[in-house]
Amino acid sequence: MVETILDWLERAGRHPEGGLRFLDRHERETWFGWVEVRERALAVASGLLAIGIGSGDRVALVFPTGIEFFAAFFGAQLAGAVPAPLYPPVRLGRRGEYARRTAQMLERSSARLVLADSRLRGFLGDAEATATPDLGCRTLGELPRSAAEPVPAEPSDLALIQFSSGTTVAPKPVALSHRAVAAQVEILNGFWRDNGGLRHSCVSWLPLYHDMGLIGCVFPSLARDATLTLIGPEVFVARPAAWLRTISRYRGTVSPAPNFAYDLCVTRIADAELEGVDLSCWRTALNGSESIAPPVLRAFAERFARWGFRREALTPVYGLSEAALAVTFADLDRPFRCRRFDREMLSRQGMAREQEGGREIVSVGRPVPGFRLRIREETGRDLAAGRVGRIWIQGPSLMEGYLGHPEATARTLRDGWLDTGDLGFIHQGELYLTGRAKDAIILRGRNYAPEEIELAAGSVAGVRRGCAVAASWLPEDAPGEALALFVEASREATAAELEALPAACREAVLGATGLVADQIVVLASGALPRTSSGKLRRSETLRLYLAGELAPAGEAVLPLTAALAEDEGCEG
Amino acid sequence: MTDEAILAGIQDVARLHLAWEGALTPDMRLIEDLQLDSVRLLTLAAEVENRFRVFLDELDEGAIATVGDLVSVIRRKLGG
Repeated sequence: MVETILDWLERAGRHPEGGLRFLDRHERETWFGWVEVRERALAVASGLLAIGIGSGDRVALVFPTGIEFFAAFFGAQLAGAVPAPLYPPVRLGRRGEYARRTAQMLERSSARLVLADSRLRGFLGDAEATATPDLGCRTLGELPRSAAEPVPAEPSDLALIQFSSGTTVAPKPVALSHRAVAAQVEILNGFWRDNGGLRHSCVSWLPLYHDMGLIGCVFPSLARDATLTLIGPEVFVARPAAWLRTISRYRGTVSPAPNFAYDLCVTRIADAELEGVDLSCWRTALNGSESIAPPVLRAFAERFARWGFRREALTPVYGLSEAALAVTFADLDRPFRCRRFDREMLSRQGMAREQEGGREIVSVGRPVPGFRLRIREETGRDLAAGRVGRIWIQGPSLMEGYLGHPEATARTLRDGWLDTGDLGFIHQGELYLTGRAKDAIILRGRNYAPEEIELAAGSVAGVRRGCAVAASWLPEDAPGEALALFVEASREATAAELEALPAACREAVLGATGLVADQIVVLASGALPRTSSGKLRRSETLRLYLAGELAPAGEAVLPLTAALAEDEGCEG
Repeated sequence: MTDEAILAGIQDVARLHLAWEGALTPDMRLIEDLQLDSVRLLTLAAEVENRFRVFLDELDEGAIATVGDLVSVIRRKLGG
C-alpha cells in the first residue's frame, strides 16, 4: 500500500526524539516533537475547512523557516487542500518586483487563499490585489477555531505544488502526487538506513519552498520519525559557519546544499568561527540543484578536513523538481569522481573521450533505484554511451505535469518519459552533465527564466529593441555558473550610448531581477543566431560565444532573417 | 551616533564583507550602484545588524533603496 505524507504524520511521534528543531539567528534552539507538529496542523486544517477550503483547493504559503510553515503546510494537506509554498521576500530586495513575482505564482497556481507569516503579510497586499485569491490572505491566527475533521488523502491526490523557478515570466508550477512524493522519499530513505547504533539525522538551512529542502529533508525525516534540525536560509547566508556548527553540535549525518553553499563556506568562514567543531559525523554532504564545480569540491574537502570533514562525504547528485527531486546519486562513502574529457570532441562532435588536460567534469553517479535514464538525440533516437545528448528519465516520482500548462506538459512528458532539457553523457555507467538544451538559468540553486533578464536588457537605450539573450554556464575552473548577456547594438545608437551599454545593461538586469551579469557581450545588429521564423536561439548563442564565433559590434553581420526583422527589432 | 559615523560603519561592512573598496555616498542605490544580488543584500542586512546591534524588521527594509535610506533607518533604530 502506498503511504501518504499524512500517514507518516499520523504515525510520527513513536520515537520521543523525533521532531523539528529550529535554531534562530543566535543559534538558540526551539523544539517541536512530531506529535505537536501534527496537533498544530490539525488546528489549521479545521480552520481552513471552516472558512470553506475544499478538497483540491490550492493554498499558497508564505512563511520563513519556522513552526508556522509546518502547521500551515500539513494543515492544508489535512484539509484536503494542496499547499503551494512560495518565496518570502528577500531582505532589502525590491518590494515591487516581489509583489509581481508573487502575484504571478498565485495566479499560476490558482490559489484560493494565501496563508502568510504576520510580519510578511504586509508585503503581500499588492500581490493579493493583482491575483485576488477569493479567500484573501490570512495569518494562522486569523483562522477560526472549529471542530471540523481532517480529510484523508488518496495516493493519486496532488500532495503539493512546487515552483521550479520564481520568476515574473510564466513560472511553471510542478504538480506532484502523494504517490510520487512517497516514492521519492522511499528512494531517499533507502540511502540512509538506521543500523546498529547509528540513527541518521538531517541538518538543513535550505529554504522550505525549495525541493531539496522540503522533499529532500523534511519528508524523509518525517517518514523515519527522525529529527530534522533547521536553520533559516538567511542565517546561513549571513553566517555560513552556523551551518557547520549546527551539524557538529547535533551530530548531523546528512546535510545537502547546492554548489554555491560549499563555495560560500570556503570563502566566508573564518577559522575562529569553528572552534570546537567536529564534522566527522557528517556522512553525506549532498551537492545538487545546480552545476557542480570540481574546484569547489576540492577546496571544501581540503579546507574543512582539519575539523574532521571526510572527503568521501561529498556526494554529487542530479535531480529536478519535475522528478520530485533525486534522479542520480554518486556512490555514498566513496570520494567524488572527476574526469577530464577532450574539449574539441565534446563541443564539436558531442563525443566524450577522456584526455589529460581536458575539460574537467564531475560524475553525478548512477540512477537512483527505480529510475532509468536515456541519452537521446533531438529527434528522440537513443544515443550510445559516450555520446552527448538530451537526458530523458523514467521513474516512480515524476510529476503529474505543469499545472495549467498542458502544452508544456505534453512537450516534457512523453510515453512515461520525462525530457529533463539537460545535456550530458554516460561514461563508464555514470552520468556527466555538460549543459542545458532548455532555456533555464540556474544560479545559486535557483532557476530563473531568461526572458525576464532579456526583457530588462532589451529596452536599454542603444540596444536594438528586444534583441537580448541571457544564458548561464559553468566556465572551467570557476566556482559556479556565470551569467552572460548578449545584446545587439542598435544601428542608431550614438557613440556615447554604445560606450555606456554594458553598464546600462548590467544596471537594468540587476534592478529588474536582482542578478549580476558576469559577462555582457555587445554584438553587431543581426549577430545573434535566430530560427527561420526570426526567434532568438539561446543555447546556440551560448555555443557560438564559447566557440569564439560571435561577431562583436563594429563588424557587419546581416543574415537574411535579421534583415527582415530589422525594422521591428526582435520582439514578436 | 551621527550620520557620518553610521555611514563610516556601513562603509566598513561593505569593505569587509562585500569586497567593496570604493567610497559610499548616501545617494548610492544598494542594488544598482553597489551591485548587490540577493545573497549580497542579505549579507549586508545581517552584517549591518551585527555591527550596529540593531534589528531591521520587514517594514524598515521595504523602505530601504539607497545607502542614505539605510543610514536613516539605523539612526532611528539607535534612537537618534
